[in-house]
Amino acid sequence: MIRFEKVSFSYMEEGSTLQDLSFTIEKGSITALVGANGAGKTTLAKLIRGLIHPTAGRILFEEEDISKCKASTLAARMGYLFQNPDRQICKNTVGEELDFTLERTVQDPIERQRLKDDVLNALQLDPADEPFLLSRGERQKVALASALVHRPQLLILDEPTTGLDYKECTQIMEYVQALNRQGVTVVMVCHDMEIVLDYADHVIVMHSGKITADGKTRQILQDPTALTSSALLPPQIIGLAARLMADGYSGFEGICTVDAMATQIEAARKAVTA
Amino acid sequence: MKGLMNYFPGDTFLHRMDPRSKIVFSLLVCIACFVTNNIYVLLGILVLDLLIGVFGGIFTQALRLLKGLLKIALFLFILQALVMRAGTPAFYIGKLAITWEGLKTALMGVLRLIDITLPLALMISLTRMSDLSNALVSRWHVPYKYAFAITSTIRFIPVFTSDLRSIMEAQTARGVEFDTKNFFKKASLIVPLCVPLLISSVKKIETAAMAVELRGFNLRTKDSSSKVSQFHLPDYLLLLLGIGLIVLAVLI
Ligand SMILES: Nc1ncnc2c1ncn2[C@@H]1O[C@H](COP(=O)(O)OP(=O)(O)O)[C@@H](O)[C@H]1O
Ligand SMILES: [Mg+2]
Repeated sequence: MIRFEKVSFSYMEEGSTLQDLSFTIEKGSITALVGANGAGKTTLAKLIRGLIHPTAGRILFEEEDISKCKASTLAARMGYLFQNPDRQICKNTVGEELDFTLERTVQDPIERQRLKDDVLNALQLDPADEPFLLSRGERQKVALASALVHRPQLLILDEPTTGLDYKECTQIMEYVQALNRQGVTVVMVCHDMEIVLDYADHVIVMHSGKITADGKTRQILQDPTALTSSALLPPQIIGLAARLMADGYSGFEGICTVDAMATQIEAARKAVTA
Repeated sequence: MKGLMNYFPGDTFLHRMDPRSKIVFSLLVCIACFVTNNIYVLLGILVLDLLIGVFGGIFTQALRLLKGLLKIALFLFILQALVMRAGTPAFYIGKLAITWEGLKTALMGVLRLIDITLPLALMISLTRMSDLSNALVSRWHVPYKYAFAITSTIRFIPVFTSDLRSIMEAQTARGVEFDTKNFFKKASLIVPLCVPLLISSVKKIETAAMAVELRGFNLRTKDSSSKVSQFHLPDYLLLLLGIGLIVLAVLI
């Protein structure tokens, strides 16, 4: 769906923010972009959306060169959640905020209403609420809702869960996953490895403007060097499995859920008592 | 993104000069621009402005600022040239005569605009805001609260510019045509943005006010600054240059 061919980018005349990136994002996948602050994740996300253009190389969206399109005309096909939701919100009520996106991207008024109701329902938002009086988490939901209400083919989310509590987090991610199952391709910047493990099927690791690892989620998260070299910590359960294996216990390879861990510990205990 | 009116750190003699002389010099240049009716004086001041950029080590920024100003200037130039009706016609657009006098007035107006904006903007880029407020308070006995208000206003300009830029980006992502090449269309799209910009600004100022309060804003007296600003030879020379410009502007 998205293909980067030797893409470089810099904000200034000298120096470079991203260097020589090549990768593809498959249609129908959920890809997580991870890396320390300042690694260039937001910059990469903006490049995909066509808000900024590469200084070298090219980016293809469905085999179409993105720098040849106007960013505003791609709105119907791509949704973008900004890192700071307050930049995005511009209307006085949640309902108007959703209409703002729909007016520009969906023709049929009945379809508009249907999409709007669906999103309000799923994220439990009240269309009459005033966005700027809502809490941080609620505003994040409003911003997310207005980025995806029109069901774009590609959804780009810049830190959708940062600063949210556990319930808000799962609510947002469950909905994103549901949309993904209906065919929406998702790219998300994320700092929380637990969420990456639970929802993403592909991970791209970035470090100072370069891609240091790119592959299936479990494979990347279980590779100790892939994460630590970019100053990231693996999810706790994978860390525990690695620690047990380092201590000489066998049978913990590839474990990354609490259930699998509990089963394996039980088996190990039985083996010891027997 | 470093832009208009940000402090550009450095150690040139312009950086080291007393903030007061830089500000006064900018004001003197302004006066000279208004007093003069001579296009060469205005051109000379433009060169002087660019020299400030060179000596301050911010020539690229000066050029970028000039480029930005030229866009506004072009608009004003056309407007002025169309409005001025008296004088000998230089050429015709349809039935409309564009006069030599109109062109000259327009050129002068545009040069004035640029000459007035550049020195102040450049000097501010070369001055730490805290040094300016210290100098105002300890030397000119401006009440600290007012000095703080002035310097924070200047300080917030680049913040607002970058806010506006990211709001425009966010709207483009949602299908608003901010990426259009049509200047007037773009301008008409900016107007509705004032609401979110204002809201975010007020919020930011509220937070900033609370933050300075918590850090003992009201405890500050005029004697408590750590840096002493002092006029030295370059300061006197700069002021002399400013006065010289006014004299020149009056004489020719
Ligand atoms: N608008 C901008 N102008 C100049 N430099 C920028 C801009 N935005 C980001 N940068 C720089 O680019 C680098 C990558 O930033 P970013 O993509 O925001 O990182 P991340 O999202 O991974 O934290 C950082 O060093 C940052 O300072
Ligand atoms: Mg970021």
